[in-house]
Amino acid sequence: MNPQFLLEVNHLKKYYEIPQGMFKEKIVVRAVDDISFSIKKGETFALVGESGCGKSTTGRTILRLTEPTDGEVRFDGEDIRSLSYEKMRLLRSRMQMVFQDPYASLNPKKTIREILMEPLRVHNKYEKKERMDKIRKILEIVGLSDHHLDRYPHEFSGGQRQRIGIARAVVLQPDFIIADEPVSALDVSVQSQVINLMLELQKEFGLTYLFISHDLSVIRHMTDRMAVMYLGKIIEVGNTDDVFENPKHPYTQALISAIPANHPRESKDRIVLEGDVPSPANPPSGCAFHPRCPAAMEICSRRVPEETDFGSGHTAKCHLYQMNEKREEKDEHAVIHS
Amino acid sequence: MMEKPLLEIQNLHVEFKSGKEVVRPIRGIDLKVNRRETVGIVGESGCGKSVTSLTVMGLLPEKTGRIADGSILFDGTELTALPEKAYRKIRGNDISMIFQEPMTSLNPVFTIGEQLSEPLRQHRKMGKKEIRETIISTLKQVGLPRAEQIIDEYPHQLSGGMRQRVMISLALLCQPKLMIADEPTTALDVTIQAQILELLKAIRGSNDMSLMLITHDLGVVAEMCDRVIVMYAGEIVEEAGVEAIFDRPLHPYTQGLMQSLPSNNERKGKLFSIKGQVPKPSEIGKGCAFANRCPHAFDRCFAEAPPVFSEAGHQSKCWLLDPVSKEGSRDESSIPIRS
Repeated sequence: MNPQFLLEVNHLKKYYEIPQGMFKEKIVVRAVDDISFSIKKGETFALVGESGCGKSTTGRTILRLTEPTDGEVRFDGEDIRSLSYEKMRLLRSRMQMVFQDPYASLNPKKTIREILMEPLRVHNKYEKKERMDKIRKILEIVGLSDHHLDRYPHEFSGGQRQRIGIARAVVLQPDFIIADEPVSALDVSVQSQVINLMLELQKEFGLTYLFISHDLSVIRHMTDRMAVMYLGKIIEVGNTDDVFENPKHPYTQALISAIPANHPRESKDRIVLEGDVPSPANPPSGCAFHPRCPAAMEICSRRVPEETDFGSGHTAKCHLYQMNEKREEKDEHAVIHS
Repeated sequence: MMEKPLLEIQNLHVEFKSGKEVVRPIRGIDLKVNRRETVGIVGESGCGKSVTSLTVMGLLPEKTGRIADGSILFDGTELTALPEKAYRKIRGNDISMIFQEPMTSLNPVFTIGEQLSEPLRQHRKMGKKEIRETIISTLKQVGLPRAEQIIDEYPHQLSGGMRQRVMISLALLCQPKLMIADEPTTALDVTIQAQILELLKAIRGSNDMSLMLITHDLGVVAEMCDRVIVMYAGEIVEEAGVEAIFDRPLHPYTQGLMQSLPSNNERKGKLFSIKGQVPKPSEIGKGCAFANRCPHAFDRCFAEAPPVFSEAGHQSKCWLLDPVSKEGSRDESSIPIRS
């Protein structure tokens, strides 16, 4: 175990079965299909992908909000799959989640005081008197104040609610926060406020983030490393800078070229993909991206591509970069045959 | 001579009754859409951009909503006083609309063909066979594969991007003069958004049509629009050609919006952000609606609502642009004004 990694995910799988009736075979949806990555202490790691690619399921499986089908998740050296229910509960005080929809993730019948008190009460942290001080302090940090304490969620705007959601996650002083599309439901001007808040909190508490999003400009702004997912698989990982400047996988290239321009005079060479994301219940053979890939070759539909390393932790799974190796192999064979 | 604009809205006020209160989501807007022009309306949620489009379509909720003042002139017809029967001849025929949610705006119990034949039966005299042929050719125009089969399929059999294409073909069927697209790509994934934007560009080029694009995404505006209208709290705060607005935004709100885009900030740095939040309709006083969040606000902003200042087609509602009050402002230098 490498001590610099806070979270390690190895060959994680999450399959859902859909029964089709008594004598018919079940359909297996491979929502997360054999993914591995690790997150260093203090860094922000992004999972990018389109809807249905399994990025949210990955986040939920790491917290064991849904049980993984197979694979290993190590948090600070401990395999969390083997933990008992009670121990997992305790561990969750160190890993928290911020949800996408600030309108749905706060209990409408509770005041802000109750919402923020609950995690402290559940995990039995601090003396009772101290708890109120703690809550006041956190509220101040996220930019709200005392007189908000006895209000209900409906009295707040979307941005304020997301601040409350973040306060609830941070109040336990966790090490690790999974943020599942935390800003995608917010307006542009509020979005930048929330991003700033998350960056400040990271500095102040030394947080590690797993940042799940489909918004590439936000990811480029605030993350250190990123993984691109397509149909339950990670197809490219690397430092955010490297991936944006030199995307290797054709899907990543298309994603990045699809970001709308910043200025009307900026002309973009856009790779427009054809078709839609296929259903994860019935993924294409070989490389799952091959029916939409502009560079698809004959081999892509037959074989799942292996990982190619481009140095400094930048890897991608695509046959394009394996051609050279393959050809060399073939040449060797040719020599033997002759 | 200038061609008359296709759509001209003057001093429009809309009121909603909610309980005992009266809410005013739109407070005096003027806007024009010329023929074959793409106009973008930008703003945050609650700024009145969707209400504007519903008002033009005549789709305000009958019991609670009403046009309090102003006029909407479409192709020479005054729409505000139009009886429902006459409105039906225009709606879906001359003006059509694409909604935000492709998932919920198609009826799940009718096939695509049944839904698409409705506007043709309503507005055109066509035989069954002719209707079917028109639908298939429109479906092909929006780039749907297997149009002959899709026409007999149900919405749930299609993906989000395909449904949005069906919605676009529905809006195109009667070859409207004006198409209103209300956040047409917000619910879609990035790669599908790119497809739909390319499609809208292609359609606008081939049909003789104006497009009113409502969005909160400045990137979409940069790519699609000829002219941009920025709305804030029920008012138009700035209006200009697309290049002018990106080169030199005049209103502090527009400047804030541009600066808060992550791509306009240094990586990992603190993002520029507009302080505070959009005021509730009840909180808007007599001054400028943006004054409480504006970094340049001075006394006059709180006391008096600014009029429209116009300079070479670039219009903005801000006291900073007033030659008289500019002398009184401390932050004069922060707003670059071309001499």
